[in-house]
Amino acid sequence: MFALEGRGLRRRFGGFVALDGVDIAVPEGEIRALIGPNGAGKSTLIDVLSGRAREWSGEVSLFGARIDRRSVQERRSLGLARSFQRTNIFADLTVLEQLRLAARTSENDNAEEVAEALSLSQHAGRRAGDISYGDQRRLDLALALIGRPRVLLLDEPAAGLSLGESLVLARLLKDLVGRWGVTVLLVEHDMEVVFSICDRITVLHLGRTLAEGTPDEVRQIPEVVTAYLGTAMS
Amino acid sequence: MTKPLRRPAHFRRTFGGPSVFGTMPAVVGVALLLGLALPWLVNSALFFTLMTQAVISAILALSVGFLIRQNGVVSFGQAAFYGLAGYTIAIALKFQAMPVEAAILLALAGPTAFAFLLGLVIVRSPGIAFSMLTLAVGQAFYEVLYKWRELANGDDGLAIRLPRQLFGLAIGTFQRPSSMFVVSWIALVAATALLNWIANGHFGRLTVAIRENEERARFVGYGTIVPRAGIYAVSAFLAALAGVLIALYNGFVSPDLLHWNLSGSALIMAIIGGARVLWGPALGALVFFFFKNVASNYTEHWPAMIGLSLIAVTVLLPTGLGGALAAMAERRSRWARG
Amino acid sequence: MLIQVLNGLVYGGLLYILAVGLVLIFGLRRVVNFAHGSLFMIGSYVGFSLASQGYFLGGLLVAIATLAVMGALLDWIVFRPLQREYQIVTVLVTFGILLVLQDLAQSIWGKDFLTLQPPSYLAGSVMLAGSEFPVYRLMVIGVAVVVAVGLTIWLKVSRIGLYVRASSVDPLTVALQGVNTNRVSAIVVAIGAALAGLSGTVAAPLMALSPSMGGYILIDSFIVVVVGGLGSFSGAFFAALLIGEIHNFGVVYVPWAASMIPFVLMVGILIWRPSGLAGVRA
Repeated sequence: MFALEGRGLRRRFGGFVALDGVDIAVPEGEIRALIGPNGAGKSTLIDVLSGRAREWSGEVSLFGARIDRRSVQERRSLGLARSFQRTNIFADLTVLEQLRLAARTSENDNAEEVAEALSLSQHAGRRAGDISYGDQRRLDLALALIGRPRVLLLDEPAAGLSLGESLVLARLLKDLVGRWGVTVLLVEHDMEVVFSICDRITVLHLGRTLAEGTPDEVRQIPEVVTAYLGTAMS
Repeated sequence: MTKPLRRPAHFRRTFGGPSVFGTMPAVVGVALLLGLALPWLVNSALFFTLMTQAVISAILALSVGFLIRQNGVVSFGQAAFYGLAGYTIAIALKFQAMPVEAAILLALAGPTAFAFLLGLVIVRSPGIAFSMLTLAVGQAFYEVLYKWRELANGDDGLAIRLPRQLFGLAIGTFQRPSSMFVVSWIALVAATALLNWIANGHFGRLTVAIRENEERARFVGYGTIVPRAGIYAVSAFLAALAGVLIALYNGFVSPDLLHWNLSGSALIMAIIGGARVLWGPALGALVFFFFKNVASNYTEHWPAMIGLSLIAVTVLLPTGLGGALAAMAERRSRWARG
Repeated sequence: MLIQVLNGLVYGGLLYILAVGLVLIFGLRRVVNFAHGSLFMIGSYVGFSLASQGYFLGGLLVAIATLAVMGALLDWIVFRPLQREYQIVTVLVTFGILLVLQDLAQSIWGKDFLTLQPPSYLAGSVMLAGSEFPVYRLMVIGVAVVVAVGLTIWLKVSRIGLYVRASSVDPLTVALQGVNTNRVSAIVVAIGAALAGLSGTVAAPLMALSPSMGGYILIDSFIVVVVGGLGSFSGAFFAALLIGEIHNFGVVYVPWAASMIPFVLMVGILIWRPSGLAGVRA
């Protein structure tokens, strides 16, 4: 049994096929990277798995139980949480208010712990719309981490951050994940980040799975190198 | 999918924020004292006639404003709950179906419950669609009461067969301007306190969060329909409260009480006063009444003045007069604190 | 019976002309124009001013021209600067304009109800299926048909018509094509307002004029626009027919139930398909 499993996932936007029968299975405790060129379908896959997409076909299972029909809130209560590529926070609430709000939906009130770990405690009383971009990204991530989810879907958590910040975030993530035993599926463009924390990589291309394996295995596959045109892989 | 437009900066400041005017019980106490003292200080029946109407309108304006503040949507149909409350009392007493106290409770509970059920359906509609829906529902009720002569006497309106006593008080208490002013003022203060309690509690924070980012609220684990319907119900309750008061005061109801003109006026009051601060709409009501009753002695053009004020506030001062005052007070207190 | 149906067509025709103006304005500027009813009202009064002196046709033309200018001003001063704001901002501003226009009308023409007789060359009635039917009312139906046909042709044939149709679907892309959207919008909003003026003048002999006369027909035209499908001109046509007939039969047969039907329709459609009204932000 896998922590998170998707079978035969398909999604079209009008004439454009974003996902063309993708299978993915992530065992418990693993940190899996999802990489691929732009338009490969990575964010769409995350949207389908998290319940954000509306018209799709296939099956999604969480710890063996099918969650296709489940609403976003239900998925959350079953332990599936996600962060967003475009920062998705509550601008008018303070940092602490929104973390507390998020904490109320689960038995695990780890708002302070998460704030501490993500260096947000210093901004506790500040309006979220007023803090820096980097802090907002971390808040977006924090909202997903509240309540100790069992499975985390992260859509480019380091988007817009400098390389240094990204690596710090990655280490933070690896540390938390290790402590909690969380399973992570992580969309990421930055290969340094990917190689520093991920156990395995799934490569998507044109809506299909191109390759899957450990970082070392994947970087040697010719098709993967071609797909990336040598820009990301080094 | 088309890209969403940039959110205008000044509109972001329209919502939220704690009160800077001191602790709640102290404010409530002072407000009540002021209101109770007024009949001793002022001796003009005309003054109290106007003030009573202004205060009751203020409660209706609060109804519109609270919905804007918590749900971020504009209702063009609050007058429906206002009028329905009055008609509930009138019709219940016409058929002598229940004692007047029970009729009043029904007049408060009925529109609130209906609004909650309606809300479960219509809060799913975004922005303008929601506003048009409230307009349509409000006018539908207006039309029904206007045309249903057997039940509601059509546009001639219904007189209310008020008893001699109400909740232990002589009925005259509710008909004399000075005493009715006190009753209405107490209701206004109580309503504001209620809203403040809701706004500062979990429910209030949650609905602000949903207003800010409905999607993320769901991803963080909250259902978003029920809370928003709840806010709609609370705003309907306020409108119903105002409706009960005006019905008791006038002893008469007519379909005009449900017309969208009235909803529109309440909306104008809420916008001019500003929905950011909880009591903003009440201030807006007072300003509106000033224009209507004082300015009208000097000029015939008070509706145009109100129209221009609405435009000016919407475009230049989105937080309304209440928001502007609150901002000034906050700057003052920060300056005082050094 | 035929007379009832025809009367329904008369009101439906007035509604159509008014609603089409709303659709034009919404299609291009994504604005729900609350002031549209007052534009109708101003059109009535302007037309009245000349028509009551015997110049009905002159009144009609002056009303149309005046409203066209007002529409262009409205677009330039209000819709264009506010186009990046939330929709509700423009709605509220048009609401404020409604109040200002009502006051203006009251200042110029007074509060009392005014009536207008149809011009002598359109007075009188014809015999239809055994009953008399006023010639003027037939003319109103005719005007609505002419507007419908003219509009359809214009939309299909002219460049501006093309932009209007394209904008209803995707205003941002149209803007990117290098079209001077501001000039096009001003023209289209002017046309929309002019249509309101046309409807107002044509309606003047059929109803009592007062500064608040625009209120009722505004609500009905909102219903027509929503029921017809936001942005749809043909939809507005059929919806106007429908609402006009319901309105008329309702007055005669089951008043309170019939008056509910248009609202129930509107509520149903808004719940089922709200995205039409949500505009660009959707």
